[in-house]
Amino acid sequence: MSRLSRRGVLRGSLSSMAAGSLARPFIANAAAKTATVWWTQGFIPEEDASFRQIVAEYEKATGNTIDYSLVPFLPLTQKIVSALTSGDVPDVMEYNVADLALVPQYAWTDKLTDLTEIVEIEKAQYHPTAYLATQCYNNVTKKRGAYFAPYKVFVSPFHIWNSLVEKAGYRMADAPTTWDAFWDFFKPMQKKLRDKGMRGVYALGLQATTTGPADGNDTFHAFMIAYGGNDIVTPDGAPHLDDPRVKEAVTKALTYITTAFKDGYVPPGALSWTDADDNNAFHAKQMIVDLDGTISTELALYHKKEQYDDVATMGLPNDNLGRPVPAQLGVGGVFVPKGARNLEVAEDFIKYLIQPKVVNGYLKEGLGRFLPAMPDLVKTDPFWLDPKDPHRSAYTRAALLGPTVPNHPVYNPGYAEANAQQVWGVAAADVIREGMTPQAAAEKALKRIGEILAKYPITAS
Amino acid sequence: MDDAQVLRAGVLPGPSPSVRLRRRAWRGSLQGSEFTWAVAFLIPYAALFLAFVAYPVAYGLWLGHKPALYAELVSEPIYQRTVVNTVLYVAIGVNLKMFGALLLSGFFMRRRWWVRGLLLVYVLPWAMPALPAFVSIHWMLNGQWGLLNNILWNIFGIDGPGWLETSRWLALGSVIASHIWKWMPFWTVILLAGRMSIPQELYEAADVDGATGLRRFLHVTFPLLANLYLICTLLSTIFTLGDFNSVYFVSGGGPALSTHVLATLGIRDAFEIGRPDLGVAAVMSALPLMVPLVILLMRKLRTTEVQL
Repeated sequence: MSRLSRRGVLRGSLSSMAAGSLARPFIANAAAKTATVWWTQGFIPEEDASFRQIVAEYEKATGNTIDYSLVPFLPLTQKIVSALTSGDVPDVMEYNVADLALVPQYAWTDKLTDLTEIVEIEKAQYHPTAYLATQCYNNVTKKRGAYFAPYKVFVSPFHIWNSLVEKAGYRMADAPTTWDAFWDFFKPMQKKLRDKGMRGVYALGLQATTTGPADGNDTFHAFMIAYGGNDIVTPDGAPHLDDPRVKEAVTKALTYITTAFKDGYVPPGALSWTDADDNNAFHAKQMIVDLDGTISTELALYHKKEQYDDVATMGLPNDNLGRPVPAQLGVGGVFVPKGARNLEVAEDFIKYLIQPKVVNGYLKEGLGRFLPAMPDLVKTDPFWLDPKDPHRSAYTRAALLGPTVPNHPVYNPGYAEANAQQVWGVAAADVIREGMTPQAAAEKALKRIGEILAKYPITAS
Repeated sequence: MDDAQVLRAGVLPGPSPSVRLRRRAWRGSLQGSEFTWAVAFLIPYAALFLAFVAYPVAYGLWLGHKPALYAELVSEPIYQRTVVNTVLYVAIGVNLKMFGALLLSGFFMRRRWWVRGLLLVYVLPWAMPALPAFVSIHWMLNGQWGLLNNILWNIFGIDGPGWLETSRWLALGSVIASHIWKWMPFWTVILLAGRMSIPQELYEAADVDGATGLRRFLHVTFPLLANLYLICTLLSTIFTLGDFNSVYFVSGGGPALSTHVLATLGIRDAFEIGRPDLGVAAVMSALPLMVPLVILLMRKLRTTEVQL
């Protein structure tokens, strides 16, 4: 039996290390057909099962391997930021709000791969707003390009407790169809419900929150657009913060939201609501009406039939002059970071994934929380406009068949930073807590947005 | 004949005396294979240290090294308020917590059975995982349907305030109270251990001299505990400066971003705004306070090594 000497051990260790280092390229070559994918965890287990099914079918069809991780939304945000900062990236990343955050900012710094060729394949199928939302600006190439491949969209519809409206002696059929009048419709119900013993009920779930990530901004933008201020940033990326129409819209939006708050029609906690707090408050029947993204509020009650049917889902009313108000269309999709090791498989997987048939099957498993980015799908598959479901059809009509506009960060990534800094929530708090006038708070907020957008000059578009 | 053969044959000279001295200084008393084995055993630790301590710290310093980041940070409207919050949070939180722990450690020195039982209950907040504990407090303090305001309504018929929702000071106070609730038991146990190691003879001697109650505390207990108390306070200050959980999960930095501290602002800048460099700069801006504290702590540890 040979004796284990010190030199022998050290030589053996060094040989193993050397062999490991030399063998690595061959191991990598053997796995060259594998793509690493980070995907948002589904709202319900069936959604994840559907994704696994898609992966299995893709692997069977191509012989490639997809090494995927299903990660909840907020931790996924942190993983994406960390990966793109360190450079240790997967091959494909998926994000629920690709148009709103991260993608516009990282496209600006040239950290993402331009997917224009892939997106063009399905361009004819895409909703025009969803297609427009992919066109982010790269500050290195000084060009716009499709920096993510969209496949799902959503808007913020109204969620209303029918039973509370009726208990207060009203009917939703009588609700006005113009903006201010629609919101005002619910205010007198609060007193009537409180008189009937519902001590903690409020009329409006207006989210003047600064806690984020998106609800406070979404609510404010709905008001700002309804009052004619959508051109705060135009498609060329230019800010129009001194435009009198924009200023007027911002001031009116702040005035309505903060006055309702100060008059006691909004739960005081709304100033600090986090992402799920408005849903929880709505489910606790703390308010009659809430304006919030997707129909997750309703789907959380999916297995409680009576409550599910008690909620009404509605698109946006008209503006105060009776014209339709476009909804901001949120767009989710997949993107490829620069430095992805298996670009070929990554792009091939994305091409497979964004096929209308694949998209439709996947999103239906999610009960329609997100909608396909392809309007033809909802017109041809009865699932989406099924009148038997009290929520999905109204939501689908609002997002895919009604007027929509992209989110502003698509035009200028600086607006994503302004959103993240919760500039509008801070402005509402300035009025509510600091006693500022809406005009002064609007000026302050617009000045702050100007400072942020100044860091993102767009020279060509 | 190659060099090695020449050396073995004594044709070429061996290492010079200065080289031998350097080698001895480097190897210490270790001889031959002992030194090689020592290096072999050290390598895994050194590799882990480099990978998981040195590299992340260096990477963080590199991320936040640009002076322009600090100019941008200071120009943010939220930053100055955050610094004030951090100072208040640390100053009030640490001192109330440590003074409370000092007093309670005296109470828990009593030898009654029910005091022992109470100690068991008292340390539970510390034993609980921080995240669910702070999330529970967040729900309990909800102004509309939280447990605390429901109790106030049911017992006294009054509507409680929005603890976390309307006032910066109420929210910051709630965060500080939550921090104290969570961590005071830990420091109480540390100071209790310190009290238990004070020789009983000293108290007996003080009794003979007529020093009881407060005088005994002032002239025997406190002087002997002072160094431990100071070290604990310094350590707690360092921990609290980096504390993220209490603020993030109790107030979330609200209302209206008014209760952020540097640790939560760093996370916000890094992951919500998508600017990791700015986030690192926010945390690094605590270094002018942190480094002197660490130096002071190390000095205290060196000078008080033979004292209690």
